[in-house]
Amino acid sequence: MIRAGGFLAALVLLWISPLVLPISEYTHHIVGLTFMFMAAALAWNWLGGFVGQISFGHAAMFGVGGFVAARVMLATGLPFGLAWIVGGLAAGVFALLWGHPTLRLRGPYFSIATIGVGEATRLGATYWSGFTGGSSGLSLPLDGNPTKYELYWYGLYLLAAAVAISWWLRRSRIGLGLLAIKEDVEAAGDLGVNPVLYQDVVLFLSGAMVGVCGGFYASYQAFIDPSDMFSFDRSISLILMAVIGGIGVALGPLWGAVVFVIIQEFLLASYSQFYLGLYGALLVLIILFEPLGLTGLAARLARFSRVARFSRITR
Amino acid sequence: MGEFTTLAISAVLLAGFYAAMAYGLGLIYGVLRIVNLAHGGIIMAAAYLAWQLFERFRIDPFLAIPIALVVFFGVGVVIYLGLVRFIPRGPAGAVQSLLLLFGVWLIIRNAAYLLFTGNEQVIQTSYATSSVTILGGGFSVTRIAVFGVAIVALLGLHLLLTRTYLGKAIRAVAQNPDSCTLAGINVERVYLLTFGLGTALAGLAGVLASTLFAFTPSFGAGELLKSFVIIVLGGLGSIIGIALGALVLAFAEVFAVYVVPPYLTSAVGFVLLVVVLVLRPGGLFGQRVLR
Amino acid sequence: MLTALLLVAGCAPSQRESGGSGADDVPEKIVIGATLPLTGAESKSGGRFKQGYELAVELENADGGIDVRGTKVPVELKLLDDTTDQAKAINLAQRLITQDGVHALLGTYSTALIEAQSTVAEQNKIPYVNGGGAATSIYGKGFTYVFGALAPVRNLATTEMEWINAQQAAGKLPKPAKVAVVWENTSHGEDFAEGVKGFAGAHATDYQVVVDESFALDGKDFSAILSTVRSADADLVMVDAHLPDFITMQRQFISSGMCAPVITYGARGSEADARTALGQDGINYILSAVWWNKQLGNTALNSAFIKEFTSRHGTDPEWYQALGYEAARSLFTAISTAGSVDRTKVRDALATLTMDSILPGGKLSYPAASGGQASYPFVVQQNLPDGSSPIIYPADIATGAGVAPNPGCKR
Repeated sequence: MIRAGGFLAALVLLWISPLVLPISEYTHHIVGLTFMFMAAALAWNWLGGFVGQISFGHAAMFGVGGFVAARVMLATGLPFGLAWIVGGLAAGVFALLWGHPTLRLRGPYFSIATIGVGEATRLGATYWSGFTGGSSGLSLPLDGNPTKYELYWYGLYLLAAAVAISWWLRRSRIGLGLLAIKEDVEAAGDLGVNPVLYQDVVLFLSGAMVGVCGGFYASYQAFIDPSDMFSFDRSISLILMAVIGGIGVALGPLWGAVVFVIIQEFLLASYSQFYLGLYGALLVLIILFEPLGLTGLAARLARFSRVARFSRITR
Repeated sequence: MGEFTTLAISAVLLAGFYAAMAYGLGLIYGVLRIVNLAHGGIIMAAAYLAWQLFERFRIDPFLAIPIALVVFFGVGVVIYLGLVRFIPRGPAGAVQSLLLLFGVWLIIRNAAYLLFTGNEQVIQTSYATSSVTILGGGFSVTRIAVFGVAIVALLGLHLLLTRTYLGKAIRAVAQNPDSCTLAGINVERVYLLTFGLGTALAGLAGVLASTLFAFTPSFGAGELLKSFVIIVLGGLGSIIGIALGALVLAFAEVFAVYVVPPYLTSAVGFVLLVVVLVLRPGGLFGQRVLR
Repeated sequence: MLTALLLVAGCAPSQRESGGSGADDVPEKIVIGATLPLTGAESKSGGRFKQGYELAVELENADGGIDVRGTKVPVELKLLDDTTDQAKAINLAQRLITQDGVHALLGTYSTALIEAQSTVAEQNKIPYVNGGGAATSIYGKGFTYVFGALAPVRNLATTEMEWINAQQAAGKLPKPAKVAVVWENTSHGEDFAEGVKGFAGAHATDYQVVVDESFALDGKDFSAILSTVRSADADLVMVDAHLPDFITMQRQFISSGMCAPVITYGARGSEADARTALGQDGINYILSAVWWNKQLGNTALNSAFIKEFTSRHGTDPEWYQALGYEAARSLFTAISTAGSVDRTKVRDALATLTMDSILPGGKLSYPAASGGQASYPFVVQQNLPDGSSPIIYPADIATGAGVAPNPGCKR
């Protein structure tokens, strides 16, 4: 309950702060985008962290969500929020389509299969220019679409939803089931957990959430193209955020997303050539020294300071 | 009929390159049970090495192969000693090693951007655009040479694994590391040499690729994925299986133009990958996946 | 649950008014923002546009700057590298507008990138002039702040087909001729393919389209598409590709022993880069249609541009530099006409601009009827084995005679 209270307080604070604090327009935009990345990274973590199935193909759902949302907006003039949800549902269904058969593979086999799914989807989407605009991409209508200024708050709602689902997945019976599956699929089956059903549910949620994020991104950029939406680098960015923040930790990816965006923005204009290597180095260091990422590091520091304080008292 | 023959020959030539591309990944997977995600990065780096040797010293890419083998054997040894060694073996380490080596790939890619910029490069040898006519179809001299090198590499690798002490040790460790330790084989050393050898083979593939395609620092992603497809098709971890897997993939891609638009032929491999993984995780040729 | 959250809370404070005070004062300097692909796939073309932009700025400043209501105001060009990446082109443009407060934007290069970036300009209502986006789809969205100096690609295809048609009428090419249309999967390529297919459709007894395939931008291997072309045994190989794809594809085309009576890669083929990358034998008889050529240089404006350019770079300008130069010059002229850096006034000045130009036809304007895209005739060139690339069409400005079919093909 205290945590839920803190969460609500943080939400209110973030909701109000742009109205009262002198934040520059550019920063305001970037923070809005960061909320979306946080939500997407959390969603990746439901599958990658909670179930332990590392997906290298989540860009497929991001792209499907984005393009379906964009097409829905263009064709029907549906309000953007609803269009995102339609895009999200389409992405969730698409995730089930390939995920249901592949999820019985475990570990590296599943990961490799997701690379294949991601790349095949990217090629197909680029080819299908009637739907995606091909290599030229798709521009959204400028009227009826929210401005980047307004999108800050929608990004915040997206994030709130992702955090709530993360908690629910962790705390509910499903969460325990997922842990059991992560440890040992066959044993989980013996315990009366239906691994197929549980994994399908998580995959659908994860895909749908990432799809909604794709819709948000389409509105944010007002232009999307398949080589960006479906890119391998986009799948990778989700993995990076989760790993940096703390893979499998319920809210770890949040911090990873923040670090990711800071690196990206800081280096964007002048040092864009360094960011890949920086991510790479972070990845290597984290895997070698702190598999739980920033969350693990924070816990370690907290423990360290507690021990330090304790030893001072006893002395 | 003539067209069919032409396509079949080009599929065989392509298969040669594909096999060379997958040897390194397959060898490392077969022995260490690690998917070397840095494979694509090594291929790219070797292409740049060949390009530099050609631009600066006028060394023909095909003559640069021994240099690349030595250099990338060294690179593999360094990556193993510095990083891979610390990852636990078995299922727990599988995902960790995946992410670790992916980090290595990003670092290699970034280094290439810094050194050579993101501009596209080609190696313009005197024979780059020459072709010969075989059974009524024109074929690039370079592609034929690449095929020849791939066959030599296949034979060399086969001899190494079957006729030398090291090769026998590698195969023994691949089968059962624990009993090897009992039999007095230094397993850690075999892992080290295998990783070096696998990386050297990726280097070979990179040099070959540099003669066929234009490349940038992001080159290698497609090659990595196709290598996966091949080792999965061939049953993970068998050298002959890899050659067969390469043939299947090459034929599927080349003949796919009859069924799907040329644009989508490279997607054929990925679809094949997923289908085979799901339906026949042991590979098309029936080898059991070793756990 | 998500639905509920988004709907119930579906409210957000609306945009605050951005301060527009003093927009009509004469500034101390005029800052023009631009991104170009200085690295990545399009780096060669991007580098040449950079030369064009910089030359225009330099010449303007040598004269004291842009004349704004009687005051000469120097121009500063803020140029960033978008690395041939659409997302980056968007983000950097956004940054130039909101962070750096530029007065107007010059476009990046290549249709795909401009298609992405022009949306940002329109969103922020800032004048955007490009010299590198030729696809009509960019100008068909009702954008009012986007202006393009490149004439439509469809006309490029038709102009080439007109020359081919004359050769066919003279009995040099088979009738009906088998046409392979191979186009990059962008609106640039789509326009080109439509141009070719439209022409072939209108002359249905003379042309038969046997291959109609697209390929992805920045391909590394075109063997699949080439094998389709080979099996169709086409007489006319009509490709639309950007420079890197042209070089890769032509290399594979020759090395697999293929040859076609007529081959074109749209606007590519006569560049110095093509000769370096492929060798003279690799580019012989390639047909190309471009927006500008130094052989047009008989007007005073043209010869001045060529002289200034050559004295700085030691090489002749190509259409890339010329278009970059003209796009920048038209923006400066419009700012001067508007007598202000106010975004709306500059936009209005661009919309009504008619300027003496180095481009074919001698005048540059951005007619509203074509969505702000300039329109003028193309010049068709052909590479000959002696290393020259004369203009072979239209006849009134031709500087040499074209050759068809390709005498190098053994048939």
